[in-house]
Amino acid sequence: MIEFLTAWLGSLPGFMTPLLLASLGLLFCERAGVLNLGVEGVMAFSAMTGAITALAGYGPGAAMALGALAGLAVSIPFVIAVIVFRAPQIPAGLALVAIGLGASEAMGRDAAHKPFLGLQPIPWPEWLTDLPIIGRLLFEQDWMVILSLLLAIVATWGLFRTRHGLRLRAIGEDPATADAAGVDVQLYQFGALMIGALLIGLAGAYLSVAGSQIWTEGMVAGRGWISLALVVFAQWMPVRAIFGAVLFGGAEALIPRLQAQGLEVPVYFLSMTPYLLTIGALLLISLSMRTSQAEPGFLGRAYTRQDR
Amino acid sequence: MMNFSKVRRGLMAAALAGVAMASAPLPAAHAVEIKGDAKIAFIYAATARDGGWNEALDNARMAVEADLGVKVAVVESIKEEATALKNAIDLFVGRGFNVIVATGYGYSEGILEAAKANPEVAFMNASGATNHANLEGFYVRTYQAWYLAGMAAASTSKSGKIGIIGGFPVGVVNWDVNAFALGAQAVNPDIETTVVYTNSWWDPVKEGEVAEAMLDQGIDVIGNNLSSAAPFIAAEKRDAKSVGFQLDMSKHAPRGHLTSVMFNWDKHLVPTIKAISDGSWQPNEWGAFPGMSDGVVSLSSLSDDIPADVKAKIEAAAAKIMAGEMTPFDGPILAQDGSVKVAEGASMDDGALWGMDFLVKGVKGTLN
Repeated sequence: MIEFLTAWLGSLPGFMTPLLLASLGLLFCERAGVLNLGVEGVMAFSAMTGAITALAGYGPGAAMALGALAGLAVSIPFVIAVIVFRAPQIPAGLALVAIGLGASEAMGRDAAHKPFLGLQPIPWPEWLTDLPIIGRLLFEQDWMVILSLLLAIVATWGLFRTRHGLRLRAIGEDPATADAAGVDVQLYQFGALMIGALLIGLAGAYLSVAGSQIWTEGMVAGRGWISLALVVFAQWMPVRAIFGAVLFGGAEALIPRLQAQGLEVPVYFLSMTPYLLTIGALLLISLSMRTSQAEPGFLGRAYTRQDR
Repeated sequence: MMNFSKVRRGLMAAALAGVAMASAPLPAAHAVEIKGDAKIAFIYAATARDGGWNEALDNARMAVEADLGVKVAVVESIKEEATALKNAIDLFVGRGFNVIVATGYGYSEGILEAAKANPEVAFMNASGATNHANLEGFYVRTYQAWYLAGMAAASTSKSGKIGIIGGFPVGVVNWDVNAFALGAQAVNPDIETTVVYTNSWWDPVKEGEVAEAMLDQGIDVIGNNLSSAAPFIAAEKRDAKSVGFQLDMSKHAPRGHLTSVMFNWDKHLVPTIKAISDGSWQPNEWGAFPGMSDGVVSLSSLSDDIPADVKAKIEAAAAKIMAGEMTPFDGPILAQDGSVKVAEGASMDDGALWGMDFLVKGVKGTLN
């Protein structure tokens, strides 16, 4: 049992990190009032870019960085459509999914199925790594895990303790009022989408560079969509996103391990658990009164000054 | 999910093939006559070099080109839906192509329509569930080679625990899992075979995690019934052994790779296309279902880590299977709960193979 727990907890951060990064990125977009459904596509494109960089012989750090930049690059059409032309956000986001998936498959053809040396765990003395329960959880992780947790804290500080964060949230709630108060709505939305794209790009790159250490098409496998649910789950709070990502990542890490134990639990039921968790959590949240205001009031709508 | 069925989507469906084939008998086949020289086209549902299912078929496509001295047209990423397939086929037929090879279960219905509409074109579909006077679905008895791979796995396991990672718990996967376990038991009767179904044909992150979980359990040989490299890399890192599928996977695990169960579709497609060219092709009304004796499935070269006496045993069993003297599912076959699935002295017929919905005794894991 202790071995099982040690191994499960040890694999949990690897599942948590991409979900956390993606939901943080999404959280920035949504706090600024922009619903970005393109996560799945952006992650796919970044995963491909990270793998190509690593295969070209650059280190994992460079692969992560370029993956993040690729997230930015592939999001540009979406950003222009949504911010400059105020296009409807839902179809624009879905188009971004298609662009990301398609571009990654087209550009990644020659990189597919080629293993590379990706991000490795931070080396700690062996006696630490061998500790029961917490050994692998704490001392067999790569630096991106720590960075993602730090980013969640920085995001909280940025959104809730700085003037820029206040303006960003104000835009998401009521862009007309923010505008009247002299905030440049488009500029802030642009900034939020850029930060978001970088974080989502990091999440995608993490999947290939740290996770599988190989790139293949379709490897994001729905994790982008899960992160969309995670943001709601987290009630648009970065620190809560950590708990959400731990919960979802934990469930994702648990399933294969339970199966490998030979546990007589139906596979299909296990695969449902993350989604059951979502619904359960959302139910709990909606039952408590005070969270009803969590969703940015202007989420998903285009703001044009002359309409106000 | 967009890529849900990308690789080997066909197999799930092939499980249903038995049912479909059993319920729709066709009039007795007669030779298909195509007009003029064979002009061949292959249709793939994803990229051709996908590292697994399509790549094995694409290798056969190249063999066809070399053997027949023709250029074969290829189209990739044609969605497994009737309209997309119909457009692709119409374009090919309009340009005078008269031998169409499709490569996915999801094409089954669409290609049947196309076959009916174009009686002078020869159609084939890998893992297809439909057949017609000018259409033949084909798959191969992969379980024969998985049985032999199981023998190899058991002989190199020190812990007495081996594992196999499968996609969906359907007949064509279950027969590989069960044959792998039975082959292992033929070498070590006490061996424990753990199976994990990932519920996806394609999720490298999950497959790698399953492999890690298996290794953490003391499993030291991993059979990968899917086509991503992740399980091989995980096994290799921990000095465990691995068994591959579809292609020779030794490149992903140079040290630990024991053998791979390989598709050699050229052994089926080259003679079939030759028969089409000379006007003697008669599609089987139940589809083509070759095996090791036809060379369509085989093991890649055996690792030197397999003891010599076991190698000899594997070769003897292979010879018997090819000669038709034994099958991996000769009775007595017991299910996990001990119930008799095949009686002593009996063997499993093709219908029961396609519909295999149980795990044999000695397998740890669960279907559905």
